[in-house]
Amino acid sequence: MEHHVRVAIVEDHPVVVEGVISWIGADPQRRITVAQVVSDTAGLAVPRAADVLVLDLELGGRMVADEVARLSASGYRIVAFSAHVDPGLILDVLDAGAYAYVSKDEGRDHLIEAVLAAAADRPCVTRSQAKAILADPRPGRPALSGKERQALLLWFQGMSKASVARRMSISENTVRQYIDRARVKYATLGRPAHTKDALLARAIEDGLIRPGEVATYTTLASQPRPALS
Amino acid sequence: MTAWPAPGPRPSAVLAARYARALDIAAVVAVAGWHLAGAGPLLVAHLGSYASDQFQITAWCAIALIIAVGSVLLLRGYRGRGTCWALAGAALVLSTAAAAGCPPAQMLATDWAWGTAGWVGVLVLLRRPLAELGVFLSLEALATFAVLARDGLHRQSVAAFITVLAGSAGIQLAIAVAAGALNLPARQAAAAATREADASARQAAADRIRTARRARWLELRATAEPLLRGLAAGTADPADPAVQRACAVEAARLRRLFAEADDAPEPLVHELHACADVAQRRGVAVDIETAAVIPVVPPEVRRGITDLAIVVLVNAISRVRITVTGMVDGVIVSLVSDSPAQPELPSSPGWLAVDSQRDQQSLWVEARWNTT
Repeated sequence: MEHHVRVAIVEDHPVVVEGVISWIGADPQRRITVAQVVSDTAGLAVPRAADVLVLDLELGGRMVADEVARLSASGYRIVAFSAHVDPGLILDVLDAGAYAYVSKDEGRDHLIEAVLAAAADRPCVTRSQAKAILADPRPGRPALSGKERQALLLWFQGMSKASVARRMSISENTVRQYIDRARVKYATLGRPAHTKDALLARAIEDGLIRPGEVATYTTLASQPRPALS
Repeated sequence: MTAWPAPGPRPSAVLAARYARALDIAAVVAVAGWHLAGAGPLLVAHLGSYASDQFQITAWCAIALIIAVGSVLLLRGYRGRGTCWALAGAALVLSTAAAAGCPPAQMLATDWAWGTAGWVGVLVLLRRPLAELGVFLSLEALATFAVLARDGLHRQSVAAFITVLAGSAGIQLAIAVAAGALNLPARQAAAAATREADASARQAAADRIRTARRARWLELRATAEPLLRGLAAGTADPADPAVQRACAVEAARLRRLFAEADDAPEPLVHELHACADVAQRRGVAVDIETAAVIPVVPPEVRRGITDLAIVVLVNAISRVRITVTGMVDGVIVSLVSDSPAQPELPSSPGWLAVDSQRDQQSLWVEARWNTT
């Protein structure tokens, strides 16, 4: 499935749509095909024609962040793609079940990576997401380890993951693990969503976290395996 | 930038408060003194002639209690209309009842309560508008006159009533008017002192700002002037990249100087934007991000941080990402740029922890400042 990801683009600016399509076309392995392009969520095909939804959060001047939960529940893996960088909005969208948040400034570097990660139920942490996690003021936020925070901070500051690895005297792979673990911890929080369960289950399969580390995982495991494929 | 004097009571306010306090104490002493030394002996002298001695003594004690309560309220600065008038009303009722218990035809000679009730009015209504005391004294006089009329009016009794009225209510009203008049010069003195204090505070602030600006300007001149002289004399070559960088540094420092005088909600971020301006004009893409709540950063710390930022910005080829992260106990500022070489960073004071790392084309510089 990772070799052929169908994506739907919900975006009201033709220029942005062109940009996203050109980034997808520039992927040498041609792993993604664009199944649908619509300017509003109402235009999405039923039954759905795509696995991953690249969703602009502001359509025709209207914020559609509150539709993330409904669209996630209907089976889409959502990558929010927005000009907004407000940490509160980012946390809300993740809480509603989105896989990743990519600000428009980060699109060129991270959108394709985020779409592929979402299709595989894997986390993708952009710098804007790292910032939102670092600045999360909510009392119920997940407890991050010192290393996880340090890796997130250096990533937010703009270092490449290789530079973060050198700085922390660890391997680049371990840097990825620290950052992804911080993200996965958020999947245990807030309202339940199939997409969060899928992200957690995959993280456990990948050995990113152990079932015991996730307080709520036992309750999730007792539920039927999320029907996402 | 500028340390403002700690706010304290203005001298004028202290003066006005002292005047008002002295007046309050005088009123308490006068009213309590009248009740003890004036009304008390009058009551004692006529015991036996009242309808009920016990009632007269009880009424005297009750009015003493009202005076005590009224005094405490006045000295504590309380001036609520309801409570003041409840006390005044109680004194009015008690004094009228006491007058009604006086022997017929000898009411004016034996009544201790009329005068004392008027003084209670002065006490509890001293901080209320003068008209309220006027109303109270009129009611008191009308009530007493009604008791007098009960025994039958004749020329002598009316004349005696007017004499007593003039001697008591007249004096009480006059004292209240005088108290108000005394307050007026106090208020004027207070206003004048306030104006003077404001003017000197403004002057002090202006002096401090001027001194701080001058210090910054002298500092700038020490580095900008030799550069300008070199350019003018031809000893510095504008085509030399080192000279170009030196010019860019001075331009950024000038912009920062202007930014420091601005009133911005987050001065550190505002000054970093000012520093970035020169690099942006050069075509460097500068991206400034803030995370979490930025604490208040003192001017000298902002200086240390922006000094670092200027060097990084001037040496960047095409992009710089600046992040400002607020921590519980400080702030972390980092700059990630593409620099061809490791620039020489300015030496930082001990309270600013500076770290840097170079990887291929990328330079990471971080400054941490802790509030503790």
